[in-house]
Amino acid sequence: MSNIISLQNISKEYTRGCEIVHALDNVSLDINQGEYMAICGPSGSGKTTMLNIAGCMDHPTSGSVVLEGKHVEKGDEATLAEFRRTTIGFVFQQFFLIPTLSVVENVELPLLFSRKKANRDFTVELLETVGLGHRMNHFPSQISGGEMQRVAVARALINEPKILLADEPTGNLDSRNSKAVIELFEELNSKNIAVVMVTHNTDLAARCRKVVHLEDGKIVK
Amino acid sequence: MKIAALAFSNIRRTPIRSILTCISVLIATATVCIVLSVDRGYTNAVQSDLVEKTGVHLYITKEGCPIEAAAVIAQGGLSPLYVEENKVELAKKIDGVSAVLPFQLFTATAFDGSRTDIFMGVTQEILNIRPDWVLKEGTWFTDESSVILGAEMAQIENLSIGEKLYSEQFDREFTVSAILQRNYSQDDGIMFIPLSTAQEMIRREGRVSAIAIKLDDISRIPEISTILRGNLPDDYYVLGAKELSDGIMGFFAATRMIMFVMVIVTFGVSIFGIVNTMIMAVMERKREIAYLKCVGARRNDILHLITIETLIICITGAFLGVIIGLVMTPFANNMLKGLLIAYVPSGSIASPSGQIVLISFSLSIITGVVCALYPAWKASSIIPMEVLRNE
Repeated sequence: MSNIISLQNISKEYTRGCEIVHALDNVSLDINQGEYMAICGPSGSGKTTMLNIAGCMDHPTSGSVVLEGKHVEKGDEATLAEFRRTTIGFVFQQFFLIPTLSVVENVELPLLFSRKKANRDFTVELLETVGLGHRMNHFPSQISGGEMQRVAVARALINEPKILLADEPTGNLDSRNSKAVIELFEELNSKNIAVVMVTHNTDLAARCRKVVHLEDGKIVK
Repeated sequence: MKIAALAFSNIRRTPIRSILTCISVLIATATVCIVLSVDRGYTNAVQSDLVEKTGVHLYITKEGCPIEAAAVIAQGGLSPLYVEENKVELAKKIDGVSAVLPFQLFTATAFDGSRTDIFMGVTQEILNIRPDWVLKEGTWFTDESSVILGAEMAQIENLSIGEKLYSEQFDREFTVSAILQRNYSQDDGIMFIPLSTAQEMIRREGRVSAIAIKLDDISRIPEISTILRGNLPDDYYVLGAKELSDGIMGFFAATRMIMFVMVIVTFGVSIFGIVNTMIMAVMERKREIAYLKCVGARRNDILHLITIETLIICITGAFLGVIIGLVMTPFANNMLKGLLIAYVPSGSIASPSGQIVLISFSLSIITGVVCALYPAWKASSIIPMEVLRNE
């Protein structure tokens, strides 16, 4: 399996008021194509920070981030934005859907920034993959929380990323919708898309092929 | 999807706030449109009345404020200023003077205050000096009790040639000898009588309100003005028609200043509204903007998005504002005509133009772009990580 993201000896410190927070302490992690990984750990252990650095949303204080063979740890905003557009898809606990746009328009939103013309057939295919082919012209206020998260997943996939980074993707969902989202992740992973999710949910983590435990900014197992 | 469509969709999320902001832009644009139209219209109307229509290049008047005198006459009084009629001969002798018209202007208000008649005593020189003073029907004064009526006056009194007109205030009967062609100036409402009759009616024999002078060559106005001043006593003035109109414009300056302050205030309110709306929109959508950056939106994309949102509001407001401004202009014209005391020109005092529409529209758009800068910069500077971490 080819390597998509490689975090090497990453440390991350930031200040909160007058306190220096050591969010990550010399951690290394490789994410390969088709990987299905969970990052677990207690609150404040550095899970989200690790995901954000891997997703080119944050710079490490020290260490290297290699994305498809390129060092991006010191990349400027434009370079990182380019990687986020082309290689990575994001799913968050909040769905961030635009309420005045229909489901299909929300899914096609990232294309606006990648300057790509929308291919409606592909969007429909994506929506059918996430089980929302019949909800295309609905607005976010007309669908359930689970459906909103599935729209968010479809939106994350519109640029055909190699990796899907999800931060607590089921945090706002009930168990039935959580199960549906996880099954969707598994289906996407079976199509060779790497899925890395941060979660508190041990049942969900147990379904992943690889689980990384973080504590106090260090990988403990 | 285009970025403009996303911007429009974002505006629709807070419709009431967007409409209110749009209205503030509308009011500011309409105000600019009306104020500029009034400024242009009044200047043109005064210029037209006093410089172009009259054909008069110079006036000989007595020391004192001619505008104040005009106000006294307009309110039914008798101006304290007068010029000795013998100065007419002096003016006629100067080389370059083509016509000299002494005139006596006064008003008479009915005993019950129900009407005010304007009388103007003139000589036949008026035909040489005033290009727009044309007899529509009838002939020049046949005797001392002849009257030539302005078109409006004849219409109101329902009089035709040869009919009698009785002035209650002066207990005097006039015979209509002619009716003037309508020229849409104050002439339309004036009763023109022989100068000697006018002087006799107000007991000012040998005296006139002022002397109007027409020159052969308008480039000689400064030269002939200096010659006249040199030949007249110290308490006489020689005013150019342009100076007179400038004087009236000076009188209008205070009103003009108030109007422009009004524009500044409405624009200030509008700017405050736009900036407030857009900053609120950015603050409320901080996490969403952070997400857009997560999915690859560049700093410029966010900058464009917020600027376009502001522009949509401003363009809509400015467009409607210009329309409302144009619709309101005739009302502003009528209202201001009722409020002006010193000098009410005959033409429209609110005159919009393509240039005014363009200025009003552009000013609102430029203001919108300036207002968008700070919120757009603030939004584009959002660091997704910081927003999500603070969450």
